Amino acid sequence: MDQFITTYGFLIIMMMLQAVLALSLYLPLMAGQLSLATPGFFAIGGYVAAVLSTQKFLPAPGTTFPEPLQSFVTWLATVFPLTPTGQGFPIGLVLVEMVIGGLLCGLVAILIGLPALRLRGIYLALATIAFVEVLRVVSLNLPITGGAIGIFGIPQPFPTDATKFSYIVIALPFLLLCMAYVYRLERSRVGRAFIALREDELAATAMGINPTYHKVLAFAMGAVMAGMAGAMTAHVLNTWNARQGTFDASILILAYVIIGGSRTFLGPVVGALLLTALPEVLRQVAGIDGLPDFLAAFLRDGRLVIYGFLIAFGVLSFPQGLLTPELLKRKKKASAPLPPTGGG
Amino acid sequence: MPETILEVTGITRRFGGLIAVNDVSFAVQRDEIFGLIGPNGAGKTTLFNLITGLTHPSSGKLFLMGQDVTHQRPHQIAAKGIARTFQNIRLFGNLTALENVMVAQHVHTSSGVFSGIIGTPKARREERHVREQALHLLDMVNLADRAETVARNFPYGDQRRLEIARALALQPQVLLLDEPGAGMNPNEKAGLSGFIREVKEKFALTVVLIEHNVPMVMGLCDRIAVLNFGQLIALGNPAQVQADPAVIEAYLGDEG
Repeated sequence: MDQFITTYGFLIIMMMLQAVLALSLYLPLMAGQLSLATPGFFAIGGYVAAVLSTQKFLPAPGTTFPEPLQSFVTWLATVFPLTPTGQGFPIGLVLVEMVIGGLLCGLVAILIGLPALRLRGIYLALATIAFVEVLRVVSLNLPITGGAIGIFGIPQPFPTDATKFSYIVIALPFLLLCMAYVYRLERSRVGRAFIALREDELAATAMGINPTYHKVLAFAMGAVMAGMAGAMTAHVLNTWNARQGTFDASILILAYVIIGGSRTFLGPVVGALLLTALPEVLRQVAGIDGLPDFLAAFLRDGRLVIYGFLIAFGVLSFPQGLLTPELLKRKKKASAPLPPTGGG
Repeated sequence: MPETILEVTGITRRFGGLIAVNDVSFAVQRDEIFGLIGPNGAGKTTLFNLITGLTHPSSGKLFLMGQDVTHQRPHQIAAKGIARTFQNIRLFGNLTALENVMVAQHVHTSSGVFSGIIGTPKARREERHVREQALHLLDMVNLADRAETVARNFPYGDQRRLEIARALALQPQVLLLDEPGAGMNPNEKAGLSGFIREVKEKFALTVVLIEHNVPMVMGLCDRIAVLNFGQLIALGNPAQVQADPAVIEAYLGDEG
């Protein structure tokens, strides 16, 4: 088990964070909006955490924070014990950064969403790609984001854990909370309004659903999740720069949702877990003894080719994604033959 | 003196050089069944789109219960009490019949994001009420036994009735039906008139309907407006309209 965690601890944390990003792209898609802005918000969240933890939350050696921040930090440290070893950056402050990053992203999303969500389909996708690119160039040139070098030496809550697996105490509850959030949302009044807009915007508005409000709301919800994921990732990676949150990431996250299934919240989560694990799985397969050399080399080095092939194959064979609401419903009926009416 | 519930005055809509609706004025009284007929391309559906705010008029005004709603957006007009069905059915195809009707109760419910997600007692109560209400409406259109069926899997006639149930979930004052009988067989059509009357009585509605089936319109409607090339050419009770030479020339005459 220890061996397993040493090898895959970091991967498992990354899988969970990617799953949150997939959910963040799924939220606007739930309201029928194809937004690729998730990596942009992810980057903003990461910079918020990087700047706060390296410049604001750590007092210069030998000093304390100005009050009332010092009392707050002390209080946080008692609520969230620092680390197993009793040293390192307080987990509580990581959570505070996640909240601040998330809220900032939500705010940015509302400001951007109001004009951008007037665009439809592919045009919205293009506008959100532009947003991601603008952010990247801006962060390359601002002093506060450290320019091309970025920000490094981000304080670690678990300084002794080289595998980063300790982050699971934040990542797992975070992912579960996000999943629970979207699960409940799909079964609530607001979520139904999102889905109605996705199914037929014209009919939905004729049924009294305000399209602008709900589209911006869905977009902002996704931004909050991406920002929070970014804030946490900055700590996991220990460094943050303009290579985080690029157009490549937009496409990758979109692939999670398309492969996993875009009509139920489980689809993006499963898609993200599978596709993030895939390169490692391929590397393992390549390591099997007795494999011809050319095949092993292909599996090792050609994994991006295989990746692309799998995505094309997935889209062709499962145009709705691996998981669809119908599939899940059938499963439920088969395992629990209860009457379909059972309050939410 | 009957009360005017819906009024359009001098409403005009141009699409580039085409005048789809040209200076049309009429008033619909509360509790009546008001028919809108005319040859293909006469501007009937455009007029419906104008009334529901889906297209905005180039000029003219729209009043609902005395209130000017000309420049309101579709969801605001829907919330004020106008519900409609569509000529080419527009159900939420991937949602179940039940969900379709539940969605349409949006404006009469108030759960927000967080009360809905946490499931506060009030939100739960509301959710239960919405579900019961939806089942009740489905029962009325004889679809309650298939509440969990996905909408696009229903046969055509059932989709039409489901769309009416969805419109009724909005608890409208005025119900606009765009060719409710289109694609129905004579049997289904025969039942439709009775069904519309029944719904109208039960929900105290005012009904405005577009229909091509002339005998059905004549038998069902209290008053009829006839459009041709975007213009209102006749307005009156079925007998008056039937006798109007302009109508005979434009429409009924062609039909033989």
